[in-house]
Amino acid sequence: MNVYHLDSPQRLYQHLAQDYQMYHVVESNGDSVWQKSTHNGVDYEKSDLKINRLPLMSPKSLFFSEQENLFYFDGECFRETLPQPEPFALFAVPSCDLHAIAYQDQFFSKDPYYQARRQQALLVGLDCLTPCSNGFCPTVNAGPGVSPDITDLTLHREATNLWMLIINNERGDNAIKTLALTTADKYSYRRRDQRIESCKKQFKHDEAITAGVAAINKNAVSDAEWQALAKRCLSCSGCTNVCPTCSCFATRDLDTEETDNPSGIVRQRIWDSCLYESFQREASQHNPSAEAGERVRRFWYHKFSNQFAAQFGRYGCIGCGRCEQTCPGTIGVHSVMHAIGDNSLGTNNVEKNSLGNNKKPTGIQGKQSLTYG
Amino acid sequence: MDSMTPLAAELLHYREDSADTRYFKIRLIAPNKMSAPQPGQFCMLSVPGHGEAAFTFATAPDKQGVFHILVRAIGELTYALFALKPGQRIGIRGPFGKAWPLAEIVDQQLLIIAGGCGLAPLNGLIDHLLKTHRKPQLTLVYGARTSAHQVLNSQRQRWNKQIPIFDVLEDGPDGGTPLSIMPNVIKSMVDKPEKILLCGPEAMMQISALYFLAQGFPATSIWAAIECRMHCAIGLCGHCYLEQQYACTDGPIYRWDQLQPLLRRSI
Ligand code: SF4
Ligand code: SF4
Ligand code: FES
Repeated sequence: MNVYHLDSPQRLYQHLAQDYQMYHVVESNGDSVWQKSTHNGVDYEKSDLKINRLPLMSPKSLFFSEQENLFYFDGECFRETLPQPEPFALFAVPSCDLHAIAYQDQFFSKDPYYQARRQQALLVGLDCLTPCSNGFCPTVNAGPGVSPDITDLTLHREATNLWMLIINNERGDNAIKTLALTTADKYSYRRRDQRIESCKKQFKHDEAITAGVAAINKNAVSDAEWQALAKRCLSCSGCTNVCPTCSCFATRDLDTEETDNPSGIVRQRIWDSCLYESFQREASQHNPSAEAGERVRRFWYHKFSNQFAAQFGRYGCIGCGRCEQTCPGTIGVHSVMHAIGDNSLGTNNVEKNSLGNNKKPTGIQGKQSLTYG
Repeated sequence: MDSMTPLAAELLHYREDSADTRYFKIRLIAPNKMSAPQPGQFCMLSVPGHGEAAFTFATAPDKQGVFHILVRAIGELTYALFALKPGQRIGIRGPFGKAWPLAEIVDQQLLIIAGGCGLAPLNGLIDHLLKTHRKPQLTLVYGARTSAHQVLNSQRQRWNKQIPIFDVLEDGPDGGTPLSIMPNVIKSMVDKPEKILLCGPEAMMQISALYFLAQGFPATSIWAAIECRMHCAIGLCGHCYLEQQYACTDGPIYRWDQLQPLLRRSI
């Protein structure tokens, strides 16, 4: 691992733009979104990092596309249609989203469509130095500092016009070979640790999350409690869309006139949501998860069960808080964990009372901006 | 890499089976591109333009790539399949899923309880056991709604020359379920069953398993094949989840004791 000082992230950006199609976060109409750079570097002009918001959509779709063709049928044979992207770089990805990418890397390790994109990607991480408004990355061990195993390069702000660039692996090293940089000393690196530690301390200690996770794993949440929570789920798929670790998909066939592929019938895969009533419904109409409570339980079990954690080496939730931000019915992570966590401690009973009366203010929701960095 | 692109196959022929099932004969265009399925494993069958669904191999592909599946007309994909004419192209992926536990059931007193179309996933297994066992120790109980809904008639007639088969019909004199004739079945068996295989409607599998468990039969000697909606068969799309598992790769055949912790509902 090599550590350098960097005068401006912009210089790094423009250097990388020579070899990579760049993606970065831009603010548009009050929202921040991941966007492809159109002028390869020139649109990224400010000497300081302009991004200061966690975009509602993670970069998930750059690897696991919201909608993509799998193959087409030419009348005789089925022909696979793999994506063939040019090398691209994601610039300034926060730790939580890098953990999500590492999680998906495992899940989609044998998926040729995901891997065709992933193998072309260079990841440039960015340490968060102030907590974002809905995030709880320290609670699920996903931030705010970027660990070296989940990104090729890491950016760290040392002072207003001084940055640190950490090279984590060979891919990162190759990407900056011809960029002039001065080596940083070990004290700079230690000061980075201190800054990250002090950021961690600024997070509200969120016992509800820990208690909720314990309740899920003790099987201490009754069907009736899930059902009560599920009354607030509109089955809108908002949470599964914004969640950077959600990966369910459906397939569908499209005729030639419905697609841009003139060669024949196309099969696509498209994001699906386990919260849809029909998600498990069989052709016979038999539906093992017909109950909304069962589906909401499933979503949170997938994020926080120790059974899944054992398979992936971490929980399926990376603590970004996006589900809370997006959910119109307030069954996002903070609301749900408060409800079931409190209950497991015996101080709340969702079964008897309506959830609305029992829901405690969490203090970290609402319309505050999602600042980070 | 796990491909989601099917191999090309040709619909060779079909024959009407029961009131709502057909027995399809299919040929893989390039037979050596697919590995041999074990009894109980399934394939994903595509009808171009109409999607893909899971079917168990009723017979495994032979050297020419010819195999069979039994299909009940239910839902868009199967309606489209029923509308195809011999010679038309379809797609096949597989084999997928866990097979029947051959090693654990050979040379055992075996009781197979099947219902409706649930006989299809057992077709390959029964043929395999009858061919490979020196003395097949096999009893089949088969339940169906009416005689018109009984599937695989020619197979059952053929098997019946070698093994006892007990048929039961919902609208029949015996009162309807495999369970209603079970005492007689057990009485007729010279040796008590050592292993039980279940395949059919979930309620049927549930009551059958409970019947034997109540008599002290070990859950570790019962297997059940469950049915799930599937979109990928390779553990990615999420549709067939059972707790932390995916039935397409971890199942769909489960040992009873291993299935129970995965079920929030009773099956
Ligand atoms: S949760 Fe917020 S503070 Fe933590 S890594 Fe993500 S963006 Fe940064
Ligand atoms: S469950 Fe919510 S907080 Fe956790 S990773 Fe998904 S969107 Fe983020
Ligand atoms: S069918 Fe897609 S995960 Fe099992």
